[in-house]
Amino acid sequence: MTNLLEINDLCVEFGPAGHAIKVLHNVNLSIAHGEAVGLVGESGSGKSITSLSVLRLLSEPPGRITSGKIVFEGRNLLDLPRSDMPAIRGREIAMIFQEPMSSLNPVMTIGAQLSEAIMLHSEQNESQRKKRILELLKLVGIPEPEARLKQYPHEFSGGMRQRVMIAMSLACDPKLLIADEPTTALDVTIQAQVLDLLRQLRERVGMAVLLISHDLGVVADVCDRVVVMYAGHVVEDADIASLFDNPKHPYTRGLLSAVPSLSDTRERLYQIPGSVPAPGSVKRGCPFYDRCDLRKDICNNEMPPLHAHSSTHKAACWVTSSDAEAVSQSGVTT
Amino acid sequence: MTQPVLRAENLGKMFADRSSLFLGRSSGGVQAVDNVSLEVRPGETLAVVGESGCGKSTLGRLLLRLIEPSAGKIFLEGTEVSSLSRSEFRHFRKRAQMVFQDPYGSLSPRRTIAQIIAEPLEVFGMAGSRQQTRERVAELLTQVGLSPSIMDRLPRQFSGGQRQRICIARAISVNPSFVVADEPVSALDVSVQAQVINLMQDLQKEKGFSFLFIAHDLAVVRHMAHRVAVMYLGQIVEIGDKSTIYGAPHHPYTEALLSAAPEAKLKKDRKRIVLQGDVPSPRKVPSGCRFRTRCPIAADICTQHEPPLQTLPDGHQVACHFAKPFPIMQN
Repeated sequence: MTNLLEINDLCVEFGPAGHAIKVLHNVNLSIAHGEAVGLVGESGSGKSITSLSVLRLLSEPPGRITSGKIVFEGRNLLDLPRSDMPAIRGREIAMIFQEPMSSLNPVMTIGAQLSEAIMLHSEQNESQRKKRILELLKLVGIPEPEARLKQYPHEFSGGMRQRVMIAMSLACDPKLLIADEPTTALDVTIQAQVLDLLRQLRERVGMAVLLISHDLGVVADVCDRVVVMYAGHVVEDADIASLFDNPKHPYTRGLLSAVPSLSDTRERLYQIPGSVPAPGSVKRGCPFYDRCDLRKDICNNEMPPLHAHSSTHKAACWVTSSDAEAVSQSGVTT
Repeated sequence: MTQPVLRAENLGKMFADRSSLFLGRSSGGVQAVDNVSLEVRPGETLAVVGESGCGKSTLGRLLLRLIEPSAGKIFLEGTEVSSLSRSEFRHFRKRAQMVFQDPYGSLSPRRTIAQIIAEPLEVFGMAGSRQQTRERVAELLTQVGLSPSIMDRLPRQFSGGQRQRICIARAISVNPSFVVADEPVSALDVSVQAQVINLMQDLQKEKGFSFLFIAHDLAVVRHMAHRVAVMYLGQIVEIGDKSTIYGAPHHPYTEALLSAAPEAKLKKDRKRIVLQGDVPSPRKVPSGCRFRTRCPIAADICTQHEPPLQTLPDGHQVACHFAKPFPIMQN
């Protein structure tokens, strides 16, 4: 079966030609039909740029997609004329953002905004639209939908606004929902509600989800597979069980042990030394070189390719991949 | 028993509505902090957790008199400081310092790092000659893991984690006995967060000050705190040792908060309690128990009677008519 979305060797840079700073380096990412994939990374890792590129929402200029393909259901979105994109946005791929307040129009009622979303993408009359809106609001768990749709965004709490955004994104039954830090602005108990909703919707509607987050816990909650990004590179791509049980990239390992947990009794947290390199400052070699405690000479000279440790687990590290080879070879010879 | 570094008795803060002043009638306002009593012991970290709007930041600011309490008393190292005039209180300022959440907003962009860190020393007359001050700044920078060579640079040249280190250096420059840290790591990236947490723990061990650590991330709190206070709509609903709060919380809200926290590990049949609805507006606090509108075990009594904060035999306090241990975390 072919994947719903396939990003191949995507490169993005910012700034004038000649002085451009490369922010995405050959990013590869695929999502199967109905799959939930988490895209994890710290600020500046390129996770939002990746998702904006998929919808061609990247501001160009200063941004520029220099090479690569974004294949959605067999079509390369980068080959399509820009005028074809609105038909894909919302109808095929929908997106929700971190701050639900700034994504909603403060002077339009919720009902009018939802109605607009439906009107743009389908030819339903007013009563059909109203019926659909009520259905959507019920689907995302907004109580008293009839009364609520006459209200304005400021009358909704953060969690409720994010539900409205989710309802709007579901209006045209998209095949893929991109959620960029959907719960970061929300409180824990409200976050739990929204994550619950995302999980239920996936089961009920069967759409694929690309969940972008800096929080491995949020991703563990919703996703089947995780892609870890660091400084514009995909450094690890694994099913969720192997990522947490047996991370292969030193950065992922560091992240997992740097996060305190609820059942944690450690005296001291592991800390990754240093900080994320500024975009464009890594000229060659592995971007994690300066902070890595496994580094070898080769790491400083050449960017490691994504090495397949198993059919569902890939990582870009010279050291762990050569260990893996050594182990498998010694397994063969002895 | 040793004397607590800081003690608050029945502390309250009512933010009056502007319109009520204007119209000359008292339509009330928002009771952001309501009847909170707590104490912070020497060298300990007391964490205050809760959702946005629960009053945890207001509480932190009240304790330092950055905003004036409308009720209650504050004792700092045994002296009642809440009734002192502002000028009398100044002497106590150096004993109690603060680290803010946003390391971008809390450093003046036009002053050098040396000026920023030396300012409290100058304000409290603890600065010596120019040379001595610079030596002290260099020492402080080393203590927070920065190179003394950066002291003549400006804040914009530093990352979030480095700025937070500078804020910490400023707070500890006057050797306080009590530091309020309001979400000090929540604006930082995960890999940097661990560095700052470790730094705060090391400094606390070395200098022996007490922390009031305000946070919403329960995993970070578990790591940092000795005791934990859980706030809901302006009141403490549960306060106790870390092991009790995390091991056997007695309040259904604490239990729900813990179960809602996402964990960076595989789900092991963890039962999750998803609370219904939102936190009510602090303008319309429910009658009786304020948590009852979202509580999974609320009964009639909860509507009529506000549960008092009762002390259990193990010394931990909880405000619930049905307080019982919820053994949710198995280690």
